[in-house]
Formats: sequence, structure tokens, C-alpha cells
Amino acid sequence: MAGNKITKFRKNKLAVYSARFILVMIVVALLADILANEKPIICRYKGNIYFPVFRSYLVDATILTWPSDFQNAEWTLLSYDWVLFPPVPYLPQNIDKNNMHSVSPFAKQKISSSHWKHWMGTDELGHDVLSAMIHGTRIALLVGLVSMSIAGFIGIVLGSLAGYYGDQRLKITRAEALINPVFLFLALFYAFGTRNYVLKDALSISFSHFLIQLFISLLIIITVLFTGYKISKLAGKLSFLKNKVNIPTDLIISRFIEVMISIPTLFLIISIVAIAKPSLLLVMTIIGLTTWTGIARFIRAELLRIRSLEYIEAAHALGYSERRIIVRHAIPNALSAVLIAIAFGIASAILIESTLSFLGIGVPPETLTWGSLLSEARQSPSAWWMAVFPGLAIFLTISVYNLVGEGLSDGLDPKLRK
Amino acid sequence: MLNYSIKRLLYFIPTLFLISIITFFISINAPGDPVETMLNRSQDERQTDKLIQENSYVELRHNLGLDLPVFYFSITSAASCDTLYKISNLSHRSILERMAFTYGNWKDIACYYQTIKKLEFSLPKRAINLKYLVNSLYNEYDSSRIGPIIANLCDSLKSNNCTETTTQLCLELKSSFIEVLKNQKNYMQFIPAIHWYGFKNQYHHWLKKFICGDFGISYQDKRPVSSVIWDAFGWTLTLSLLSMLIAYLVAIPLGVISAVEKDSLKEKSITSILFMLYSLPNFWIATLTVVFLCGGDWFSWFPSPGADWPDTSAPIQEWVPAMIYRLTLPLLCWTYSSLAFISRQMRGGMLNVLGQDYIRTARAKGMSETRVVWKHAFRNSLLPVITLFANVFPLAITGSFVIEYIFSIPGMGKLTLEAFQARNYPVIFTVMMFTAILTLAGNLIADILYAFTDPRISFTQKRL
Repeated sequence: MAGNKITKFRKNKLAVYSARFILVMIVVALLADILANEKPIICRYKGNIYFPVFRSYLVDATILTWPSDFQNAEWTLLSYDWVLFPPVPYLPQNIDKNNMHSVSPFAKQKISSSHWKHWMGTDELGHDVLSAMIHGTRIALLVGLVSMSIAGFIGIVLGSLAGYYGDQRLKITRAEALINPVFLFLALFYAFGTRNYVLKDALSISFSHFLIQLFISLLIIITVLFTGYKISKLAGKLSFLKNKVNIPTDLIISRFIEVMISIPTLFLIISIVAIAKPSLLLVMTIIGLTTWTGIARFIRAELLRIRSLEYIEAAHALGYSERRIIVRHAIPNALSAVLIAIAFGIASAILIESTLSFLGIGVPPETLTWGSLLSEARQSPSAWWMAVFPGLAIFLTISVYNLVGEGLSDGLDPKLRK
Repeated sequence: MLNYSIKRLLYFIPTLFLISIITFFISINAPGDPVETMLNRSQDERQTDKLIQENSYVELRHNLGLDLPVFYFSITSAASCDTLYKISNLSHRSILERMAFTYGNWKDIACYYQTIKKLEFSLPKRAINLKYLVNSLYNEYDSSRIGPIIANLCDSLKSNNCTETTTQLCLELKSSFIEVLKNQKNYMQFIPAIHWYGFKNQYHHWLKKFICGDFGISYQDKRPVSSVIWDAFGWTLTLSLLSMLIAYLVAIPLGVISAVEKDSLKEKSITSILFMLYSLPNFWIATLTVVFLCGGDWFSWFPSPGADWPDTSAPIQEWVPAMIYRLTLPLLCWTYSSLAFISRQMRGGMLNVLGQDYIRTARAKGMSETRVVWKHAFRNSLLPVITLFANVFPLAITGSFVIEYIFSIPGMGKLTLEAFQARNYPVIFTVMMFTAILTLAGNLIADILYAFTDPRISFTQKRL
């Protein structure tokens, strides 16, 4: 069956090319420092051979330091014995003083040789557009990756719970129904109530500090919940607390999903970002926290179908635990549906992020993204290259992910299989 | 059917309630002090007596209802004080809250705070240095920093030859602080406590006012938010209705054609163009049209976004063409993505219907193809697409954001963005509530319409 799906996907040429395009983008994002950098890749300077691009990683990790000649050096002006510069010898933040005020790619640029040409022109301040585009690939892919990891996690957990248990299947003892909510309250209290100021202080330093503290809070939640779970198991042996109660899982989660869907994402992000410091990570987190509903609905529908299949019944008959059946048997079968949702989800996450940075909301101004590059075209309408290239990149990325999503759903949808 | 509609309406209420809570709590956490923001605009003379300033602050705070507890109940640690909301000064309140949380003995801290206040008012007017020291006490919660400040204060009092009472107060301050440290109960922060405040709270008042149509006052221009939003809403509503109309008029024939002539060259080109339109970000297209068509270095076929709006007081035959001319590009950019969406849905629905048995029967009867398509298939596939309207409409309102920003149309999107830049929270949160309500209502209407149009969908059936 899996092979069949793959061949079906392969037949969709556009989807295959799109998948390859994504691979190319990933390579560009990974190699951005080598493709576009002010430092040489390799050079011979005063008789010694250096790899400045790679060395800068080690310097950032405080393993090595720069030789005195390279400290705060104007890399282009040093007199090398021989040198190999990256294909685009600029960083996005480098200012080319000779080519300021938006120089067109076709205009005559004040450069020493064709290697220094600004292939996509420069912006008002003299930044190289191509370099910003290459480094922007990183941000675009990162937005897709981070926000969809968050959305995927929440969506898979909630969607599979709703789909697998439905409204009738989750039966727990009275002890569990009484004790677990109490411990959930305690867990939240100790994680966020008592640590309120710790979290606030961390947030005022930076968002990454905040994430570390948040992780500690999550550990506290897990520990307290686990203790509660064990206690409730013990208490469940008492005669009064032994009786089973039914939890309408699907009803609760579906209602929650409905609430989330009716909150306009863009507005929610704008109002949260209005009260917090601008940060790319924050934007990605909020996108993830608001877009999981699509994935959850997909996997819920898929698990509603799967749970009545015979092999699940067989797994029940073999006496496997519910958790094992869900995680090992039901979810893997639904993963293809999740992949489709994630492909479309990445496209919309990138669209939301670029819209936000186009509007200048949420992403700090010093971070150059495709959206913020495009917004510069508004200030200087004669600089057509500022409008064309970043927009084209956003468009290509979004449609490539959409095409892959389409290809996957064509390949996986049993109704279309001939 | 009726049962289903009523059930859906009942579900509507808790969802709306939840959204209002989310909106309210985001708005409560907005940085800055709303009372201060409103005072600063209305009162230029900052140098007035501190006591008068404080009185006007307390009065405005009371009028805005901000001296009430935030919600019906609060869940805090036992260390926190449940009557803290009564303290009017925002920064004092947060510092005291933190102190109460850290030391866990609110009574001593309250005593300490009162002593600082007394000391502040007993200071001689000239002693700026002393005032500075006392004021810095208001911003400290850490005992390692408060101690030295108090010691410093006592020393400076001696050298400044102050009155007896002031010196006395300073000593009192010192002892009250020692009392705070002596009686601290750190363990209190680990005990959860729930306080019930009843209906006299900020959320309740906010919701009551919201339902009655009072959304507060815009910080920017001092107008009521409702009238600000009403003006903007007119623009957005007109434009989005127009764009929906165009989208439906174009999308439905396109969808039908591409379904009927499946696998033909025509269908393939239509489908791929629609797919492209679907993924084209509208802010890119809008920027491109502005750069290339609105009088930059290229063509000036359309007026530039910064141009003046046609004067609506002029005779109607004069301003209407000018308005249409002005709105062509924004409408195009606004319409094309929903157009692509609708016609893709139409195509899917039509394909689905064309594969049904009764269509085969109709063809077998020898009916003409046009009759089969337009009379039998079209009607059945049209209804679900029309119900899409309810779903697409709220999207059209939020989707207008960027278009309004680029073409500077004074609608909801531009209003929200400007409010965002000016940190005009009453406007932001009202718009957010409205959009959420519209989205919810759209979903509700769509669901009920689906149930009406397709009797096969049974909602009363018990879930599995």
C-alpha cells in the first residue's frame, strides 16, 4: 500500500518537482553562510591558509579567536596572497557605500569587478538584496519548521484523542476523574502561579531565556501530573471510587477546536504582539499555537475511520494497552493525512509570517525577511527589484508547499485511486 | 432541524464567552497605564500639585471602573493579598504584589507602605534629594536593596535638620521594614488560594458595556470606539460585498466549465491558473500593481495610493466614476484569491455531482448535455458553494488588512494597523471581538445552511 502511494505521488510530476525545489531551498538555507558572506571561504594571508567562514562558527562558540589582523577587519580590503570569496560576497547587514539609494540590477554599479555585482540590486541603505534573499530562506523555512512542529504536536495529540476515544470510549474510574483535575490545577499552579515572577523576569531578558524557564515549568507539570496519576491509580482500588465514568473526549476537544477556529489568527497575533517585545520566535510560537486546528481535524477524522478497522480490534483482542494501540498502531496509519495537513500548514505559516513582516509587526526590524524586504518596495516605488524578487520567493515557496500537499492528497485519497 | 439550529445557537454562547475572556485578558495585560494615557492627553500642566494629580488619577480610575477586581474570582497563592486592586498607582501595585508574594506577610507590608507614604508627605518641599530616595523605595522589592536605601535615608535626614515627626517616621519605617523581614512566611507562596469577588468586577462591567454597544473611548482621537469602527466598517463592508459579488459571478462559470470539460486543455489551463492565483500572496500582487501601474517609473494607468479620495459631496455622476477608477486595483487584489477558492470548490462539487447515478440516468434518457449540466447538476452543486459565503465573508474582512494598508483605504484593516502602531488598545480589542463574532456567526450560518440544503446530512444522529 505504501509503495502504491509513492508511485501515485511520483506520477504527479509537478509535486515531485516541488519536493525537489524544497530540497534545494533546504540546502540554500543550510549553506546560506557559505553562499552569501562577507568573509572569504578560503584564503592565504601572510603565508597562512585560513577558512574564515568556518572559523567564524568556532569563534562564536568561543573555541578559537581571530588573529589580530582579522579582528574588525574590512574583509574585502585585506591584501591576500590568494583568496576565494563566496558567490555572493555580502552579508545582508553589509552596507555597500558605493551603491546606496537603490541601485538597479541592470544599472551601472560602482564595483571593482563582476564578482562584486549586486545581482538583485541594492536597497535604499545599500544592502545587497540577493544576500538578504538567501539568508531570508533560513527564516522562511524556520518559520515553517518551528510553527508546524508546535502545531503538529498539539494537533496530533488532541486530534487522535478526540478521534480514537470519541464520546463513548474513554471510561475512567471515579478516582481518576476526581483526583487528576485536582493535580492538574496544582501542576498549573506550581508551574505558572508560583513561578510567575521567574517567568516574567526571564521574558524581560529575552524570549530564549523565557523558553528555558518555560521548559522547567513543563517539567514541573509533568512531575505533578504523574504523581497525581499514580495516586489516582492507588485510590481507584477503593470500592466507592472504583466505578467508571464516561468522558466525552470528542465533544470537549471538538468544541475547543471550534473556539480556536473562530479566533481570527492574524488579529490574535497582532494583539499579542502589540503587548510583547517583537521576536521571531514569539511569532513562530503563536502561529503554531493558533494553526494546529487543521491538523487536529484531519487526524481526528482519520482516527474515527481507523478505530473501527479490524486490525485495531485484533490489537484489543491481543490485550494491548490503549496507549500502545493509539501510539503504535492507530497514529502511524493516520500519519499520511497529517503530512498533507502539515504541507498546507507550512504554506500558510510562511504566508502569515511574511504578511506580518510586510506590515512591520512582530518581527524585529533588524531581522531581514522576505516580507520586510518586500515592504521596502513601498517606500521606494521606483525600485521594482525590491518588489519582484522577495515576492517571487514568497510565492514560489507557498505554491511549492501547496503543490506537495495537493500531490500527497491525490496520492493518498482512496476515492481518487483508479 | 430546528433542534439542530437551537443546539448550535446554544453552543455559540460559551464559545463567545471564551473568546471574550481571551480578548479581555490580553487587553488587561497590555503595557502602559490606561488611566495615565487618558490623563496625559487631557491635562497638559504636569507641574500641578502632586496631591491634585493623584486625586484626579483616582477619580478617573474610578470612573473607568479600573478600581474593581479584574474577574469574578482570582486564583493566587496565599501569600498574595486579595484587596490589592484597591491601590490606585499601577507601579506601586505591582511592586507591592511582588513583595507580598516574596515575603508572604501582607499586613506588615501594608504597614511598611503606609509609612513610606506618610514619610513622603511629611518631607520638606525643598529636599529633592530626600524625595528621590523615598520615591526609589516605591520601586524596590528586594530586601538587599531596600535596606541600604533606608539607612541612607536616615543619614541624610540627620544632615538636613528635619522636623521631629519626619525623623520619627523614618525610624518607624526602619522598624516596619525589619518587621517585614522578621515575620516573612516564604512557604505561603506554595499554598493556592481562591478568592471570590462577585459580579462587581472589571470583566463583568466590560462585557455589560460591550453588549450595550459601549466599547470605550479611542485613545487617539477621543471619539467613542463605536463611531470610529462604524466609519471604517462601512468601507470594509462595501468593498468586501462587492468583491464577493465579483468573485461569485466569475468563479461559478469557471468552476462549472472546468468540471464539465475535465482533462481538456482548457480545463487544465484554467485549473493551473486558478491554483497559481490561489497561492499568489495578495500583498505581493498589490505591491507589484502599485509599483508598475500606479505612476512610478513605469505606467500611470491608475491613481497612486496616496492620492486624495474623490469628494462625495460633489454631484453623483462626478464622484462615482472617480471612485470606481480609484477602487479598481484594490478590488482586483481583494477578489482574486477568494475567486480562486470558490471556483476550486465549485469544480470539486460539480465533479462530485456529475459522477452520480442520476446524472447517468439523465444522460441515458437522451437529455441534451447543456440541460444535464445546467438543470440537473448545476443546481445541486451550487447550494454548498453558496453556503461558502458565510465562511468566506469573515475571511474577506480580515483579509482586507494588507490591501487596505497598501492602497490606504480607511477601512477596518487600516484602522486596526494604525491603532496597533499607536497602541490604541480599546480599538484593537473591539475589532478583535467583532471579527471573532463575525467568524463565529459565519460558521454558524454556514452549518445551518448546509443542513438545510443537504437533507442527507443528519445532525441529530448520535455520535459514534
